[in-house]
Amino acid sequence: MNAVAAKTQTNWALGSFVIWGASYIVARGALDVDLQLGPTWVRVAAALLPVIPTVVALWAIAAGLRASDELQRRVHLEALAIAYPLAILMLMTLGLMELAVGLNRDDWSYRHVWIYLPIFYFFGFFVAWRRYK
Amino acid sequence: MKSRLRVLRAEREWTQGDLAERLEVSRQTVNAIETEKYEPSLSLAFKIARLFRMRIEDVFDPN
Repeated sequence: MNAVAAKTQTNWALGSFVIWGASYIVARGALDVDLQLGPTWVRVAAALLPVIPTVVALWAIAAGLRASDELQRRVHLEALAIAYPLAILMLMTLGLMELAVGLNRDDWSYRHVWIYLPIFYFFGFFVAWRRYK
Repeated sequence: MKSRLRVLRAEREWTQGDLAERLEVSRQTVNAIETEKYEPSLSLAFKIARLFRMRIEDVFDPN
């Protein structure tokens, strides 16, 4: 893959991430503040707003992986190898803590916990990337 | 695995970017191979050897 194509691919992935993040923030903002008393269909529509941007972002990641060279693929694989056990550890611990002390749903519901999964991935990516830098 | 890639590249006065372009990989990959942080796949090793018109064992030394 030449440098120009790689840059285009990276820009695509970053752009789709920005749109994904923006759509999530809009949906969260609308559901947290403006639409609590609105009709159900509007709230459901707001909740589903990030779905298409998320699919586009995942497609961009997959396309980027296909276009990557072998070292870049290894970095992504090592990122997953770090992120996946961390996600298991977090979810298992939260589940057990919920049994032990009854976690507050306002602090530990899905809407808060999912964000840790991409954070773990980016952490793993950073660790793996540094190894081969 | 020892690699002579840096020497071979320097002999031709290529930058890492030049070599990466010729091999269709990223500059980071070339750097990682040169600094022996990453061992290339067999297909990439063949590609490197062909580019320099050498045998694989003349570019990479497993010992």
